[in-house]
Amino acid sequence: MFDKILIANRGEIALRIQRACRELGIATVAVHSTADADAMHVRLADESVCIGPPAARESYLNIPALVTACEITGADAVHPGYGFLSENARFAEILEEHKITFIGPTSEHIRIMGDKIEAKETAKRLGIPVVPGSSGAVTSETEAMKVAKEMGFPVLIKAAAGGGGRGMKVATSAADLGTALSTARSEAKAAFNDDAVYIEKYLQKPRHIEIQVFGDGKGNAVHLGERDCSLQRRHQKVLEESPSPALNAAQRQKIGKTVADAMRKLKYRGAGTVEFLFEDGEFYFIEMNTRLQVEHPVTEMVTGIDLVLEQIRVAAGLPLSFTQDDIQIKGHAIECRICAENPRDFRPSPGQITYWHPPGGLGVRVDSGVYQGYRIPPYYDSLIGKLIIYGKSRNDCLMRLRRALSEFVIDGIETTIPLFQDLVKDPDIADGVYDIHWLEKHLGMK
Amino acid sequence: MTAKDQGPKSGSAESQMIRELAELLNDTGLTEIEIEKSGLKIRVAKKISINAAPLQAFAAPAAPAAPAAADAPKQATGPGDLSKHPGAVKSPMVGTAYRSPEPGAPMFCEVGSKVKQGDTLLIIEAMKTMNQIPAPRSGTVKAILFENAQPVEYGEPLIIIE
Repeated sequence: MFDKILIANRGEIALRIQRACRELGIATVAVHSTADADAMHVRLADESVCIGPPAARESYLNIPALVTACEITGADAVHPGYGFLSENARFAEILEEHKITFIGPTSEHIRIMGDKIEAKETAKRLGIPVVPGSSGAVTSETEAMKVAKEMGFPVLIKAAAGGGGRGMKVATSAADLGTALSTARSEAKAAFNDDAVYIEKYLQKPRHIEIQVFGDGKGNAVHLGERDCSLQRRHQKVLEESPSPALNAAQRQKIGKTVADAMRKLKYRGAGTVEFLFEDGEFYFIEMNTRLQVEHPVTEMVTGIDLVLEQIRVAAGLPLSFTQDDIQIKGHAIECRICAENPRDFRPSPGQITYWHPPGGLGVRVDSGVYQGYRIPPYYDSLIGKLIIYGKSRNDCLMRLRRALSEFVIDGIETTIPLFQDLVKDPDIADGVYDIHWLEKHLGMK
Repeated sequence: MTAKDQGPKSGSAESQMIRELAELLNDTGLTEIEIEKSGLKIRVAKKISINAAPLQAFAAPAAPAAPAAADAPKQATGPGDLSKHPGAVKSPMVGTAYRSPEPGAPMFCEVGSKVKQGDTLLIIEAMKTMNQIPAPRSGTVKAILFENAQPVEYGEPLIIIE
């Protein structure tokens, strides 16, 4: 087991990792930018090292500074959290070269799933159902037209180097395919420095359903059920729940088995999430995230399994602490991503939290690194905490969520709590009837 | 003074220990010492007039949460005030700071050295590369805030030049 883990992240996830390490008796090093010197996880960690100025490029994305921080503190492993360098194959490689364990999958698997075209080809090979589309990159308008006509319009043009909802353009008919293609290309070049694009069938009203997987790197892998993350705004998840109200037990079992089998074949190591679009009873692979996700607590609540702890165990070479049969999905969980934003126009609201009173009671979990008096720095994303509710049934969960939201007080900044109070009253949400366009329609966007 | 013992009386050994403890109090400036060994517990306390504020067990709830790990050793960040000193030369990166170009070679500077803008003051090693840190202005080295081969963090004050 590791003696010392360096937490290469910030905010609520850094605190999450700090907690898991502390429970395992592993010493922690919190690296931080000057803007995060007062972060809660920095205060709780055994050691802290300031690695750079506020800009992420010079601090949390600064590989030499991170490796140096490992060297001077003697850390023998790094947990990259999510975002930042968590899916950077080069970072994983450099750490391995320095004999420091990267808590996550191999750099090869990171690389395969990081290229969206290769990820899709790999998924197909492993027996995972994919969205019909071009086989590989599309290099000419003729080729694009041929593929599009075969599948039928509308089609979606996606950047191979994109992901996370970025770099996608819709072409509704043959008439606008040419423009959509060239726009997608130039935007991809600008954003990702790679203009390779591929085409997929555009699904009209899908749900976003993802499967949590875990592998031990030696050919053993399991699935931990699904999360429904359809409520999104600008491709960013806002609320997630498990189980999905759209799946029945048979569907859940089938897709879970398909994904677990694939991960076994791949000999995948660590935590991963296979994301699907689900429409008319069919699953379509979109991408795989080779890291822990923001919404992992929802799975933790319904399975009772500590995913970060398991990540650390697997990285240390230990076997999974559970088999597929041990995993039971019980009850229901919902997570609300609380952001420091205006609840109507979503303008960021950094500033000082003058009053902080989180809710409590049975089935209420708050994962947040902020505290009363804390100043939210303006340099990073606006997520300040996650409110996760567990209930015996989906209905109990919604009732408890309503109650918890009414107790939650955050003064000094604007937050999206009112948005969630509004959602929880909505009949579509209560019925679990929504797709990936629902939230934007509800907010009156576009 | 309280002394409880369950063993056979060994008066002179005990009073000797109490005397030693009392001396220890005076030598160290402590106000209370308590020891327990094989069923024998001795507490020696000095009564002093307290003009210091009484011990606060908990900070007021409105203040930011005090770290529970306050006793855990933390990476030294150096004297906090000196980073605001106008003559402070702060570390531009995390790494290991050296006072000379190589072991055995003369140090780049000492307290009292006169330096010109651009003169190398120290080296910071990060991932096997040596980075020379130049003097941002001319002046005299007033203080050197690090030891040779000390790990330093970004923004840590290393040298004061006036």
